[in-house]
Amino acid sequence: MTTDNKIYDVMVIGSGFAGMAAAAFAVKAGLNVVQTGATGGIDFSTGFIDLMGVHPMSEGKRWKNPWQAIEAMLKDHPKHPYGYLSAEEIRESVDMFTGFLSESGLEYVGHDDRNVCALTPAGTVKRTYRLPKSAWKGTEALEKKAPTLIVDFHGLKGFSAAQLAETRKKTWPSIRSARVAFPGSSGELFPEHMAWALAEPANREKLAESVMEHAADVEYIGFPAVLGVDPKPVMAHLEELTGKQIFEIPTLPPSIAGPRLRAAFDRGLPSRGVRTLSQKMVTGVRIVDGGMFQFDVGTGVAQTTVTAKAAILATGRFFGKGLQADMKTITEPVFNLPVTQPESREAWHRELFFDAAGHPVNTAGIEVDDHLRPLNEAGEVAHENLYAAGAILAHHDWTRMKCGAGIAIATAFKAVRGLTE
Amino acid sequence: MEFYDIGLTLAFIVFGAGVIRRASHWFCLRSSGSFSFTFAGAARALIADVLLLFRTLRTSPLRWAAHCLVFFGFMGLLLFHAMDDTVTAAFFPNYEPTLDPWQFLRNLFGAITLVGLVLMVLRRVMQEKLRTLTRFQDWAALLVVGCIILSGFLLEASKIISPVVFDDMVYEYFVAEEGRDLTALKAYWTKEYGAVFPETLPMDADTLEHGRELDEESCADCHSNTASAFVSRPLSMLLTPIAPALDVSRAHEVFWSFHVLFCFIALAALPFGKFFHPISTPLNLLVRQGRRDGAPMSGRARKVALDACTRCGECSLHCSVAPVFSVLGNENILPSEKLLSLRKHAAGEPLSDEVLKAFAEGSRICTECMRCTDICPSGINLQDLWLSSKAELAEAAPEPDRAVRGMSPDKWTSCLVEAEGVKDILPPVSGLADNAESFWACVQCTTCTSVCPVVAVSEDSTRDLDLAPQQIMNLLRMGLKDQAIGARMVWSCTTCYKCQEHCPQNIRVADVLYELRNTAAARLRAADNPCEDKGDLS
Repeated sequence: MTTDNKIYDVMVIGSGFAGMAAAAFAVKAGLNVVQTGATGGIDFSTGFIDLMGVHPMSEGKRWKNPWQAIEAMLKDHPKHPYGYLSAEEIRESVDMFTGFLSESGLEYVGHDDRNVCALTPAGTVKRTYRLPKSAWKGTEALEKKAPTLIVDFHGLKGFSAAQLAETRKKTWPSIRSARVAFPGSSGELFPEHMAWALAEPANREKLAESVMEHAADVEYIGFPAVLGVDPKPVMAHLEELTGKQIFEIPTLPPSIAGPRLRAAFDRGLPSRGVRTLSQKMVTGVRIVDGGMFQFDVGTGVAQTTVTAKAAILATGRFFGKGLQADMKTITEPVFNLPVTQPESREAWHRELFFDAAGHPVNTAGIEVDDHLRPLNEAGEVAHENLYAAGAILAHHDWTRMKCGAGIAIATAFKAVRGLTE
Repeated sequence: MEFYDIGLTLAFIVFGAGVIRRASHWFCLRSSGSFSFTFAGAARALIADVLLLFRTLRTSPLRWAAHCLVFFGFMGLLLFHAMDDTVTAAFFPNYEPTLDPWQFLRNLFGAITLVGLVLMVLRRVMQEKLRTLTRFQDWAALLVVGCIILSGFLLEASKIISPVVFDDMVYEYFVAEEGRDLTALKAYWTKEYGAVFPETLPMDADTLEHGRELDEESCADCHSNTASAFVSRPLSMLLTPIAPALDVSRAHEVFWSFHVLFCFIALAALPFGKFFHPISTPLNLLVRQGRRDGAPMSGRARKVALDACTRCGECSLHCSVAPVFSVLGNENILPSEKLLSLRKHAAGEPLSDEVLKAFAEGSRICTECMRCTDICPSGINLQDLWLSSKAELAEAAPEPDRAVRGMSPDKWTSCLVEAEGVKDILPPVSGLADNAESFWACVQCTTCTSVCPVVAVSEDSTRDLDLAPQQIMNLLRMGLKDQAIGARMVWSCTTCYKCQEHCPQNIRVADVLYELRNTAAARLRAADNPCEDKGDLS
């Protein structure tokens, strides 16, 4: 067990979108930052940054303009976390976040005033605000309905080029599919291993060769997102080898998007002075002199104790371990904050698993004041120097509303702003 | 003196035959490896390592002190007392054992030997780890030397107080001119030399003065005052209350017999076990010439090294994998004990299956960290001994890893699951694989498999590894441990812990795989496992 004697300005608890964004914003604001968190939902991300896609959920209405969607949604759900920010603040937060990512080598693209249409592995079209540059040409091909070959691999589960092409064929007649062997591998394949394998130029050459047998008359080639942990050089090389426009389509989780995002943060945060205690969870917290927080991070011999003047709780919901559900109730394990939740266990879920209206349990979370400081049982600020950000906030169903990354980034921005004001 | 001559002859025969037998091992094989020997190096080793015990000093000052006391004490007694006719008398023509400084030196050497022995016993008793390692021969060696010294002191003490011995001497060397002479001499010897006579003697100044004169005349040339026998004289005073009984039973002769007997035992035992170390260890130290490396040695040097162990136990106290011994209980994991098996093995003695298995396991578990070799006060190149036997042992009793990897699923099912009684066998540290709570949070997301470098390097993981990590977790979740235990993924895991670090649900994937391996190893270890002799390794 070790003790870090430095007193940090802020401890960011969480390493998903919200935690990473909070750490990036806080260090940019000139604070001394320590960040911790185990792998959570980020490994299950498509890598897309959704701002607002669907409202009302029960109708499944999809929006072209996310800003209008937010406005409409807030009228119906005034307690939604976006309600704590102005549209300008949300826009600034996303720009700042993608700016940070592109400085760390992971470029994001999109339109300022409308959502992008992106292909999914099922062949459906998803609306999102920003997407990785590696997927950008897919939206072009989709828009232009250009002659395109979708490629999949023997052994890669959950990605069928044939299904994708079949689903899109009606509106996109020139789309075609081909299944090839992945160079040097057989049996079941996993995206991360494939991405590592393509770091080797010889494998790209073999891949290009086998794909070109099917790609004589297409303009674009779409691959499952396995084109390198750093996609830039791999895709440039493939474009050079094939003479075609190359793009990626997300795979089923865990996809390569998680490792790419983590790699960008691993490059970007420590180099800017953030102390990262990665792959560790907070196991204890105490209030020490002057209301500072002292955290136990990790377990056993690897445990570290750190002290910070303030904290941002960005631990996510259930999968991120920010909320814990047992057979009766939902709790918040780090600060033991009260959790807004359905009255009883019976009310957690609707009868139908795929009910379009979603399940009440998925809007559970903690309550905050206007500065995103969590409230206690009495409805008062629990700790003057504790802020919350991301999915742990109550009153949103990000998976169905398509607003997960947006909430994470925007509320992280707001929390850091509250901290520095 | 029949007893003495026969005993000495027998002891010498046993000693000679034993030494020839042991030394013959050193010479019977042609030396192959390189062998660097310089006389300067040997001289340095002789002074620093053999005489001054520098290597022992590296282990602990107290142990060094104990060994020095016994070494110098016993050597003193051996040269000046046991071999007095040939050594002492040759240098000092007027030598008499009862004259000072010899009488004093004998007590001094005996006393320091005894103090050294007490320290050695305490070391073995106080250090718990060492106590468990201490075997019969370790106690026997301390006991035999201790008995020689103690019986010697008792012999001397019983002679000091004995009237019979006094009478014999008087008969031989004293002529009484007056009737009161003998009484006066007795009185003087009672007062000054501690003799104990049954009759009451006059102790007036006149008598004593007369006794002193007589003593000067007849005794003092051969007898110093017994006060210089600073151990035996106080001991004799303790014996005074039972002096008459001792005298009647001629105790000094009994003690003499014992003293001589223990010396014969020691002489005869010298070529056996650790008793041989006064000969073999210095020889090994001369061969090693101060080196503490693990470089390969010649076959002959290896044979000498095998004989040089004093069983001091320092290697086992410093062994990196000693904690494994505390879990598995196999003594062959500890260097000092493994050396016993190796010595038998090297001598071509057939080892029972059980011993061979334990020995091979000890050989396998050794990490070759060199700590035993570095610390050994006898300078034994243990590293070389372990390495030279490792491959052969691995062949004779394959490690569970190789054994299971070489088995078809059919075979490992029959060995690890269906064989009688194995199902209940668990490793000493367990509790993950059989506990549903270890897995309930698994969402089968394949993150563990995605980050696994073993799966990554496999060209066809389904073919090469049988199951992926998340599939193993799924089997365990369903209570199908026995179906997972022999999967090659379990045996190919490098325990890099990436899976465990990345698991979004905090499942201890690597720990579980490791536990499965330990479970299989425990089952293979278990007695009467039918797989032992069937193993067809590819």
